[in-house]
Amino acid sequence: MAEKETTVGPEEGLHARPAAQFVKAAKQFSSDIVVVKGDREANAKSSLKIMTLGAKKGDSITILAEGDDAQEAVDTLADLISADEH
Amino acid sequence: MDGPVKVKGVGASEGVAVGPAFVHAGEEPEPERQQISEADVEEELEGFRRAVEAVVARLSETARRLSASGNEDEAAIFEAHVELAGDPELASGVEERVRDLESPEAAVLAVGEEYAEVFAGMEDEYMVARADDVRDVASQIAAELIGRGAEGLEALETPSVVVARNLAPSDTVRIPRGKALAFVTAEGSKTSHVSIMARSMGIPAVVGVGAALDDVLVARTMAVDGGEGYAIADPNPDTIAAFEARAEEMAAASVALDEYRHVEARTRDGRRIEVSANLGSASEAEDALDWGAEGVGLFRTEFLFMERPELPSEEEQYEAYGAVARTFGARPVIIRTLDVGGDKDLPGVDQPAEENPFLGWRGIRMSLDTPSLFRPQLRSILRAGALGNLKVMFPMISDVEELRAAKAMLAECERELEREEAEVGQVEVGIMVETPSAALCARELAAEVSFFSIGTNDLVQYTLAADRGNERLRRLQDADHPAVLELIRITCEAAREEGIWVGVCGEAAGDPALIPRLLELGVTELSMSAPSIPRAKKLISEL
Repeated sequence: MAEKETTVGPEEGLHARPAAQFVKAAKQFSSDIVVVKGDREANAKSSLKIMTLGAKKGDSITILAEGDDAQEAVDTLADLISADEH
Repeated sequence: MDGPVKVKGVGASEGVAVGPAFVHAGEEPEPERQQISEADVEEELEGFRRAVEAVVARLSETARRLSASGNEDEAAIFEAHVELAGDPELASGVEERVRDLESPEAAVLAVGEEYAEVFAGMEDEYMVARADDVRDVASQIAAELIGRGAEGLEALETPSVVVARNLAPSDTVRIPRGKALAFVTAEGSKTSHVSIMARSMGIPAVVGVGAALDDVLVARTMAVDGGEGYAIADPNPDTIAAFEARAEEMAAASVALDEYRHVEARTRDGRRIEVSANLGSASEAEDALDWGAEGVGLFRTEFLFMERPELPSEEEQYEAYGAVARTFGARPVIIRTLDVGGDKDLPGVDQPAEENPFLGWRGIRMSLDTPSLFRPQLRSILRAGALGNLKVMFPMISDVEELRAAKAMLAECERELEREEAEVGQVEVGIMVETPSAALCARELAAEVSFFSIGTNDLVQYTLAADRGNERLRRLQDADHPAVLELIRITCEAAREEGIWVGVCGEAAGDPALIPRLLELGVTELSMSAPSIPRAKKLISEL
């Protein structure tokens, strides 16, 4: 089990293009990955679920992964989503 | 339905057509079965997976086709739909319900609706729009399960009259080439996307029929007169025959014009007149060349900015302008900078509500006040200029002060790009002459630019103080008015003295009744919707 807390970087928050990129990246890993925001959590490989979190720029989220590539998954995804594109 | 039903709307694109009706009204597929039996659960789930695969395959194919033809924006929409259709959570939500013996078609609509409601309840405008995406995808899967899967516009096989509430850019691009005979829509005006598309495709359109659309949703055949602005649902055989005869006559007339498509238009006394196309998006460029466009006299950039969550990046604009520049090669392409006002929402721009948006903060006025909007557009035009023969044109110029400010910003962007060592093309500067003040100050303005392009639609509206959308003011909506012609004359005279050329890019440019007068006044370029080009070239060569 790996875990990492980070802050949403992109202006658009965790939807639109950033969400699509995030989900695409998550699907590269075999681990089960979830994103937690407040009391809600979402399957990182589902753009539907990810978008329901409504995570905005500056929101704090936690990425949890369980599986063979768990550590690599949380590191990669945390980097990706904390990056400020602008 | 009993007998023919006639519906009236706005004639948005000329021509007549008759053919089978293809109703794209966003109707929800109605699942007949709500329940399934326990023994069928595994089989039903397998059926659901196959339906998802079929929808994913179809959407991917559309995305691929759009991307191959340079429509990256629309392709991205379909790629997002592919993601939604194949979403693991959508599948697990459906599986759970099917295991509770709900039919998969009812289940997928219900799960889709659950997500749609969550999105619709969010504050973010972008997410609210995603609600429709989810519903759209869920109903496609349900339709596939019910066995009428290939119902989307992309599956149109028989050339048909497309009947819809509205047709967005993402709808019209899905229609296979040559399969739409005409458009009939409840919403829209002459300047809506659907109308512009119909004109560039050369098919008739009747828009804005309003609630009357409900009366024709079950029509099997439609006859459309896009000039007069009406459509007849389930016409009787005589009407069908009459429409067919008129359609054939028009087709024959257009074949007779084909030989004029690729000629260089010249009047009998040897004056060379350039005949160009007005384009609303990069995807229309190939067709315009085919119609015989010698250039693009007006490339509207509004489409890049509308109905989206954020402003387009410099890179995205560069791609779009570059695509047209490349398609037209050495032929000139005039890019008009953003021309919107308070009547249309722009993402990220604080637009106060205005009582008179057409007399308000619009066009160059907004651009000059909003560098975050204007600078990326100017930079991308300058960069794309290196890929072809681009010119830039500023809309809504009222006086020389505005023009100088716009030119200063352009020069600043150019210096900036040079410092960045970016490749920049030679881009000539021109203006739209669409306010009476610009025509009256033409002398002063002509000294500052390489060309004028007269936007007759707005020039008429501003000169005659007559709203162009007001049906009661029809008499005052004609460029053939002495006051308008006088302003055009002043503009042409000033241009001649300063040695610059004048074009016309309003509707008057393609109007056979006005072309002789415009040429007489000194206009040397006419830019119109592409299908009007052969007729205009023929007319010019007979003058």
